[in-house]
This record gives sequence, C-alpha cells and structure tokens, in this order.
Amino acid sequence: MTQPRRRRAGQSRETSVLQGEDADMDNDSFIQTQTPTQVQKNLAKHSSDQVSLKVGEVVQYLLVKDQKKLPIKRADIVRNVLKEFKDIYSEVLLRAKKLLKEVFGYELVEIDVKNHTYILVNSLEHKHEDNLRVDEGTAKLGLLTIILSLIFMKGNIAKEVTVWEMLRRLRIEPGDKHPEFGDVKKLVTDEFVKQKYLEYIKIPNTEPVEYEFRWGPRAFKETSKMKILEFVSKIQHKDPKSWTSQYREAQERLPAASQASGH
Amino acid sequence: MAHRRSVSKSTVVEGEQQQQEDDDPVEGDMAEMDGDDGTRRQIRHQYRELMQNIQNNREDMLSSRSNKLTETLEEANKLFAGVSRAREAALDAQFLVLASNLGKEKANQLHADMTVFDPTSFAEDLLSFMGINRLENAGSDSEDEGYATGFLPGDAWKKVGMEADTYFRRAPTFHYMLGSFKTDPPVVRQKIERQRKNKEEEKRAMPAQLKKMNESHQEATEKEVERILGFLQTYQNQDPDSPISFFDFVIDPQSFSRTVENIFHVSFIIRDGFARIKLDDDKLPVIEPVATDSHEQVDKDNQPRYQGVISLSHEDWKEIVRTFEITEPLIPPP
Repeated sequence: MTQPRRRRAGQSRETSVLQGEDADMDNDSFIQTQTPTQVQKNLAKHSSDQVSLKVGEVVQYLLVKDQKKLPIKRADIVRNVLKEFKDIYSEVLLRAKKLLKEVFGYELVEIDVKNHTYILVNSLEHKHEDNLRVDEGTAKLGLLTIILSLIFMKGNIAKEVTVWEMLRRLRIEPGDKHPEFGDVKKLVTDEFVKQKYLEYIKIPNTEPVEYEFRWGPRAFKETSKMKILEFVSKIQHKDPKSWTSQYREAQERLPAASQASGH
Repeated sequence: MAHRRSVSKSTVVEGEQQQQEDDDPVEGDMAEMDGDDGTRRQIRHQYRELMQNIQNNREDMLSSRSNKLTETLEEANKLFAGVSRAREAALDAQFLVLASNLGKEKANQLHADMTVFDPTSFAEDLLSFMGINRLENAGSDSEDEGYATGFLPGDAWKKVGMEADTYFRRAPTFHYMLGSFKTDPPVVRQKIERQRKNKEEEKRAMPAQLKKMNESHQEATEKEVERILGFLQTYQNQDPDSPISFFDFVIDPQSFSRTVENIFHVSFIIRDGFARIKLDDDKLPVIEPVATDSHEQVDKDNQPRYQGVISLSHEDWKEIVRTFEITEPLIPPP
C-alpha cells in the first residue's frame, strides 16, 4: 500500500520541480496552464489534511477580504494564502467555492475574467424580516441603491451633475462632510467604484472634463435591473410595469447582465 | 433621420462627380477655378461657423424643446448645394459627424424623457420614505429653490439602506466579537511611526548642532582675542620700557596662516582700545597695551577711529621672518 503511493509522490515531485521554475517566471500563466491531470498529480504530494486546511484558509481569507467589499484578486489569494500550494490552485479554489456555498450560502463569482478578480455574493433569497445586518454599510447601501436607481431609470447612464443634483435634494453636498457618509464625493466616485458597484467614466471631448456613472459589475451580480425597478416602484408607489421601457429592459435580464459584465 | 440620410446620399453623389472631375484634368478650366475660389472660401467659412456654433451651444442643441439641431442641419444642407470640391465636402462630412453625435446624445435623452421617471419626484418620495418631518421648517421660505425643507431623522439613511438591502444579494460580512479586524498589517504602521520618530530626532538634533557651532565659533574668536591680549600684557609687564615690535608679536615663523589669524585677532584688540599701534623711531610699527585705568577715562565714542589695511603676502611674510630673524612665535598656537 505504501509502496505505490511513495512512487507516485516521487514522480510528481519531478514534475513539480519543472513547474516550480515556470511559476517563478510567470505565476499567472502557470496557474492558467494547470491541466486537471497535472493538478491531480500535484494533489498527491500534499496530504489531504494539509489540503483541507488550505481550503479552510482560503475561505477565511475570502470572508475577511470581503468585509471591505473590494474585489479579491486571484494573485493575492495565491501569494498570501496558497503559497507553496499554488500548484493545486484550481482544486483548492474549487473546494473553497463548494465550502462557501454549502456552509455560508455564498457564491464565489469571478467578475473580471481577464484579471481574475472575485467577489462573494449571497446565493440565498433575502428574508424580509431578518435585519441582523444593520451596520455602517447599511446606510451606504441605501445611498448606492439610489444612485443605481437613477442610472438605470435614466437609461443606464447618468451624468455626474445629474447624480449630485439628485443627492443635493436628499441633503447631500459633494463638498461637505456628511454625518453619516463623511466625504461623500470620495465614497461615490472612489469607494463605490473600487468596490465595482459603479463605473465612473470620463466623457470624451468635454471641457471642462465631465464624468458619467454606469453600473459596475458587482451591481449586476448583487442585484438586477428588475430588483432596482422594484425598489423605485416601491418608493414611488407605482407598479413596475408603469415604467414601460425600463420594465421591458429589466425583463431581458440575462443578456443584459452578461453584456454588462463583458465590458 | 430621413433628412440626414438624404444629406449623406447627396454627399455620395457629389463625391462621385468630384471623382469624375478629378479623373478628367482637361475640364479644369483655369478661369473658372479662379472664379470659384472666392465662393469656395466663403462656403468653407460658413461650414466652420456652423461647427463652431454647434460646439458652443451644445446644451441648447441637446434640449428636447429646441429645434436648433434640425435647423443647423438644414442650413448645412443648403450650403452643400454650392459644394463642388473635395475640400468642402470633407468639411461637410466633419460637420455631419458632429451633428450625428449630438443626435445620438439627444436620442439617448429622449429615451429617458419618454418614460415618466422624474428624479425630482423620486427624491421627494425618498425623503418621505426616510421619514422627513416637513412641519419642522414649514414656516421658512424655501431659499434653495424647489428643494424640500424639513428635518431628516437620524436614522433616515439606515432606513433606506435596510430597504435597499432586501433588493441585494449581498454577502453579509462577519465581524469579530472582540473588536473589528484591521486588514491593514500592523507592520506598516510601526514603520511609519519609526520613520516619524527618526525625523523628529533629526529635527531636534539639527538646530542644536547648528547653535553649538555658532556659539563655539563666536566664543573661539573672543577667547583667542582675550588670550592674545593676555600675552601682550605679559610681554609689556616683563619689559615695560621697550615697546613690542608688531611684527615680532604677530608673526609666526612656522605658519603663514597662523600669522594672518594673529593679525585678525589683534585688530579686535586695537578696535576695542585695549592696545595701540604706532611707529617707533625706525618707522617700524610697534604695539603697546593701553593701561586699564587710562582706558577707562577714554570715551570710546568720541575717540577718532583709524582704519588701516595691512596687506601681507606669503613672500612678505617670508621676508619679514628673515629680516627680523624671528625664530619663535610670540603667540604660541592654542
């Protein structure tokens, strides 16, 4: 029993030496070129206890990283957690994903396929009566939802001036320190943008420079046009169907979402 | 839209004509071309004006209540009737690009205009949802035009957030029971503190050092002057009758620079009236200290001041050392 296993381990060590050199040269391409068979081979050289420990560490890392709602880079996971286990990166991440789903009801979503960044999304339906989650992020989410509503209702683009005009009506001045949000300008144009809720884009050929807002990829994953339309409808006491064109657009949810995450 | 299409179609037709003309150079009658030149310039000018106009009045053009964009397009269409050459046609195309960009933007706005969504009423409803107390400031005039007045409760934004939360599939974040977890590594903070400390130390050390240098420099001069005066008085007391030769006193046969320094320091003694320089019978300078009691009687301010410049080159110094046969400095180096 021990005999064949040892031989297999020896074999995989040989291949891992070669791959180790690769990894030093280009970590990213190394991970990309991991084939399932290679991973299986590499898996054998770590004990299964070690591997599940790493999976647990990755899950914890993702949960801690998600506290700030900033997207998590694959490179960071590899560098900070996996380290010498990077040869089985894909397997560990797969197991971490399963664990997150089964234990926490979270979904690990890749929002940027090119740069390999991930976010956590709740895969469970929201129960109205559970309000365990009121924290300083709650108020910010309210502000964000209003901006997302404005963008969607205005045709998926809102000029910066329009957004500030709206927020001014809600007693928010971009230049002032808000008791709840602090530097609102920074929150909206920096924090929400870094969290990938919003995109803040320079409008070409404007002098002085103007910006416009669009939905960021996280917004498409955490909510949907239909959900936002429902929010607006509830606030304005209207039937979502009364906004004909928005309702029609929100119904084409899937293609719209995939299109949005594409750019 | 139809209007614009007709414009671009005519561009194509004219373009073809243009090509035919270019293909057949014989047709290019010189006189006719000269005659065209003025009108062509005129056309180009008008096109540029139109474009300028579009760019300067963007908002006006975009407004759904104005027909400006259509009017401008029609104007350009009229202009195009006079266009016969590629240069003008290119300007027409350029104009068309601008106009269609504006058209696109206008169409985008229309899309939003068509729906009943009104940000102002949305904002009003949001304020109501937040639980605004409109009675609070009911009496005050609405100074900020159209902006609702009233008092927003402290939990207004939390209320919106809690409502918003139900529309999101946001992963709840966990928090440690013993305070929040700082994701910033503490190592970095230590580094910053250490750097700051170092900076403070440097700041503290620098002026202290400088002060010391200044003090010691000043003191050194003063001390040296006093020391030399001491020597002068000692020599005088040893032999009160014969005056001390100035050269004997200041020249250091071993060092030119010490000699110069000595002269420098002696000049302070002279200036402060502790000693005098005069010429003896051989017309050689001698130096003698002024008695302290007579010094007190002298009114410093009323004393006439004499200034003398002594030039002493390295050669002079050597010669003096040789001539006066100075072998030992009267002022030993400190």
